[in-house]
Amino acid sequence: MKYIITRIIQVIPILFAITFLSFAMMRLAGSDVVEQKMLNTGQVISENQLIAAKQELGLDRPFLVQYFSWLGKLLHGDMGTSYVSGMNVFDTFISKLPATILLTISSIVFTVIISIPLGISSAVYQNKFTDYVIRFFSFIGNSLPNFFVSLVLMYFLAIKLRWLPIICREVNLNNIIMPTITLGIAMSAKYIRQVRATVLDELSKDYVIGAKARGVKFSTILWNSVIRQSLVTIITLLALSIGSLLGGTAIVESIFMWDGVGKMAVDAISMRDYPIIQAYVMWMAIIYVMVNLVTDLSYRFLDPRIRLGDAQS
Amino acid sequence: MKKKKLIVFAFLALLIVLVAIFAKWLCPYDPYEQDLSASYQAPSFIHVMGTDAYGRDMFSRVIIGGQVSILATLLLVGIISISGTCIGIISGFFGGTVDMIVMRISDLCLAFPGLVFALAVAAILGGGVWNAVVALALISWPKYSRVARGLTLSIKDSTYVAAARLAGDNSFQLIGRHILPNIIGPILVTAMLDIGTMMMELAGLSFLGLGAQPPVAEWGSMMSNGRSMLQTYPWVVLSPGIAIFISVVIFNLFGDTVRDAIDPKSNRTK
Amino acid sequence: MKKLVALMLAATMTIATFVGCGASNKEEKHASTGSKVFVFGDTTFNAENEEATIDPHDTYCGWPAVRYGVGETLFKFNDSMELEPWLAESYENVDDLTWKVTLKDGVTFSNGNVVDAEAVKACIEDLVAVHERAAGDLAIDSIEADGLTLTIKTTTPKPTLINYLCDPYGAIIDVTAGNEGGIVVGTGPFVATDLVTGDHINLVKNDNYWDGDVKLDEVKVITISDGDTLAMALQNGDIDAAYGMAYASYPIFENDDYTFTSTSTSRVFYLQMNYNSDIIADDAVRAAIAMGIDKESFVDTLLNGYGYVGAGAYPDSFPFGKGVNVQTYDPEGAKKVLEDAGWKDSDGDGIREKDGKKLSINWVSYPSRQELPLLAESAQASLNDIGIDVQLNITPDHGTIVSEKDGWDVYGAAFVTCGIGDPMYFFSTHCLADSTKNRGSYSSTDLDALAAEMNETFDTDARSDIAIKMQQQILDDNAFVFCSFLKMSMISKANVTGLVAHPCDYYEITADLDIE
Repeated sequence: MKYIITRIIQVIPILFAITFLSFAMMRLAGSDVVEQKMLNTGQVISENQLIAAKQELGLDRPFLVQYFSWLGKLLHGDMGTSYVSGMNVFDTFISKLPATILLTISSIVFTVIISIPLGISSAVYQNKFTDYVIRFFSFIGNSLPNFFVSLVLMYFLAIKLRWLPIICREVNLNNIIMPTITLGIAMSAKYIRQVRATVLDELSKDYVIGAKARGVKFSTILWNSVIRQSLVTIITLLALSIGSLLGGTAIVESIFMWDGVGKMAVDAISMRDYPIIQAYVMWMAIIYVMVNLVTDLSYRFLDPRIRLGDAQS
Repeated sequence: MKKKKLIVFAFLALLIVLVAIFAKWLCPYDPYEQDLSASYQAPSFIHVMGTDAYGRDMFSRVIIGGQVSILATLLLVGIISISGTCIGIISGFFGGTVDMIVMRISDLCLAFPGLVFALAVAAILGGGVWNAVVALALISWPKYSRVARGLTLSIKDSTYVAAARLAGDNSFQLIGRHILPNIIGPILVTAMLDIGTMMMELAGLSFLGLGAQPPVAEWGSMMSNGRSMLQTYPWVVLSPGIAIFISVVIFNLFGDTVRDAIDPKSNRTK
Repeated sequence: MKKLVALMLAATMTIATFVGCGASNKEEKHASTGSKVFVFGDTTFNAENEEATIDPHDTYCGWPAVRYGVGETLFKFNDSMELEPWLAESYENVDDLTWKVTLKDGVTFSNGNVVDAEAVKACIEDLVAVHERAAGDLAIDSIEADGLTLTIKTTTPKPTLINYLCDPYGAIIDVTAGNEGGIVVGTGPFVATDLVTGDHINLVKNDNYWDGDVKLDEVKVITISDGDTLAMALQNGDIDAAYGMAYASYPIFENDDYTFTSTSTSRVFYLQMNYNSDIIADDAVRAAIAMGIDKESFVDTLLNGYGYVGAGAYPDSFPFGKGVNVQTYDPEGAKKVLEDAGWKDSDGDGIREKDGKKLSINWVSYPSRQELPLLAESAQASLNDIGIDVQLNITPDHGTIVSEKDGWDVYGAAFVTCGIGDPMYFFSTHCLADSTKNRGSYSSTDLDALAAEMNETFDTDARSDIAIKMQQQILDDNAFVFCSFLKMSMISKANVTGLVAHPCDYYEITADLDIE
């Protein structure tokens, strides 16, 4: 229990460090917002107007003062307004979140449906024809960039077969399929390998060899012990990948115009819309830290040796 | 049988690296020489993989692109696996405050979205493949330090390490004699399998315009620049795509066989 | 083992159901009750183009207002960019400072309010109060409204006042109706219902349209920034027409299922030289760059022929676009010019040097106009042939870089030189000491004298003659290189009628647009 509390307390400085890092980075990387805006509009403005505009945004104050005032607002849920649309960042962000979460869930479901049966078959038929076929496709999925997989899928499913729309802006069943398949294929390709490795590992354990020696039917061993045992590891691995999946949706969302947080981030990046980028950074950080915390804690209860080791030191 | 497989894949992986190193001498044409009158030529005996919009020979560009892609990826994986492993071992072995600080820093890196980090690096240092490598390296090392730390923790508590410690080995001897040899295998395998992932990540950055700048040939950016030609001039995008595919497959298979070779468990199943 | 097979079968069937549902849901879109919906894929309605809303009084938001049929201006341009009546009937130039504009009778805003001189006065006064670019262009002193007659007085002689009023910022809106969510009330055939920049804008038919019947019931404009998504969406039928298609995708649509509408525009792809750079300040280097760019191959090959080779700042379809002398592609000549000026390749690496300095230039450009990276990369190779090393920096962040005096040598950009049908526009924005876009600090006393003369000249033919002299001056100085003009194209499905590309690039969706 004490460990859990310490661990949660440890998370807080990380989140603060991330706020600082992202703030510093944006200030370092970003050109002056005011000047950029004036440049783009092609308006002639006087030096005084420039200074006034900067004062209004607080850009004339020392860096740390800017940071703490920004942080203070952040803690109240005020992430400022977008440089581009002028809308409240937090509201914009919240409005786009459900779409991304939905896409994440559907891709995970798709990945599970595809990769667990295929990964198990691949392990069971190790070095047989089935294994080679599955591994070949997993290689393809693993070695093609997401954007390319998207293009090929679009070409076949939407143009050749005309089954699905290209533009998936609105959230509905019809529109979620293509982005799901694209993300799912890339994920499954990685995941099939992990499932295969886990099951192979389990199959090589002594109890399996023992059971085989005793003449227990292979399918019984497989279903009653091996798969059940493997599933724990498999699900942990899957949980760990939620973080990377939530982050990885950016390019796919942007290609399919799926109106989620990832597309928002890509648009903001190309427009150097720093308040939005910062919101995205915070979101990713929170997700990651949370997922990590949960897995870390679950590991501790699964492997008593780590607990022991920690207590000694 | 297993040994033969290992030799074959090691040879193929080496071949790719050699092609990348000696790319300059293997190109049939100058990969940067434009000839607008010969643009978008389909593959033929003259241009094995056709030509691109600027009439440049795709085959030469794929070869020279391999130099950038393969070497950048290998460098990236090399840097992060070595530094990540060292950090992980230190962190796992010594524990305590060091461990806590290192792990929190690695959390920080893992939690920061790579895309945004790459953007910031590109804005500060400018775009380009090598800066993209820097950006990815700065945030990718924790993967290795976590693996190394986990393994170190479990080995540290094993009976034979305890025995060695009782026999009077100091920390460096313990790390050198017992921990490193046991860790190097899994790390090597992780690194091999990571090559494909990192190649993809570099390609993803190129897609967003944060990777290689023209006219530099790099597989990822060649694919992303050529992607609108998938329907009209497919060879422009398929040639680098196939190159990525083949090299990722070879490095992955090599990684797999290395794992099979060093992992005693998988020997038993045979 | 059977269970495993069963599991896989189940998995496959789940996916099939997923896909199957998708297929059956597809039909609903077009089967709605006879109302005509037009979906337009566009690359421009986004913040990158300073189009945050459709309020013409904000930055460049007048462009989408006019493009998508919400706003209309007092006068408009015909295909040869000459003035024609639109909301106004006629104008009269009373004296150097006074203009009289007579409005058409019976024009109403989409909310039913009458467009009279009072309404127009209120609109223009609001415009010049909040829009600095417009305020500078129009230099309005006072406006008087009387029934349908407006009397406009300017502070300085403005020979091109009426042209400036045709700029999209001059779209007449009902300022009493406000601009809730960036939506304004205009006079056009369509009324915006909701919009999000960079994403979409939804429009419905204006039932009160003053100029005849509107054929479509609904228009949806979708911003699609990815070129492949745009191409495939048109192939797939998700959109009915597209603006800004990538050249490489054109061959897909060059068949009977699609219609191209193309026109020459005055959007020029040009190079601006930075005189603050020592290398560029060398006359020989600028001359060599001008001679070292193969404009014809660029247009024919990289733009698939959808463009026009540039000479001066204006296309030769304009009276002031003819008769300028310009450097042609001449790599040998360029080498000689450099050689004579002392730039020699002494270390044999193919790049020339002078006084220990390499002939290497930083070329800054940006990707949102697809032509610019193509131009940059092809020029990189052709300039390399004559011994100039070109470092490219193609970034959305270009504005910041070229706003500095140092750090760049050549800027490749796009600009509509004749957006308002008058030749002074390019010079006043790019070439004079107080020009906002004179990024390279170009200055020429001869040009300044010509500009002063132009500002006093009201006669159109005389203005053309001066414009030609001015172009010749900047070309002789090699301060700018005009590479090509955009042949703007929209591609639509064959059943779309009434979508016509216009040289000014901002008349797109009209009452005549229809789907058969």
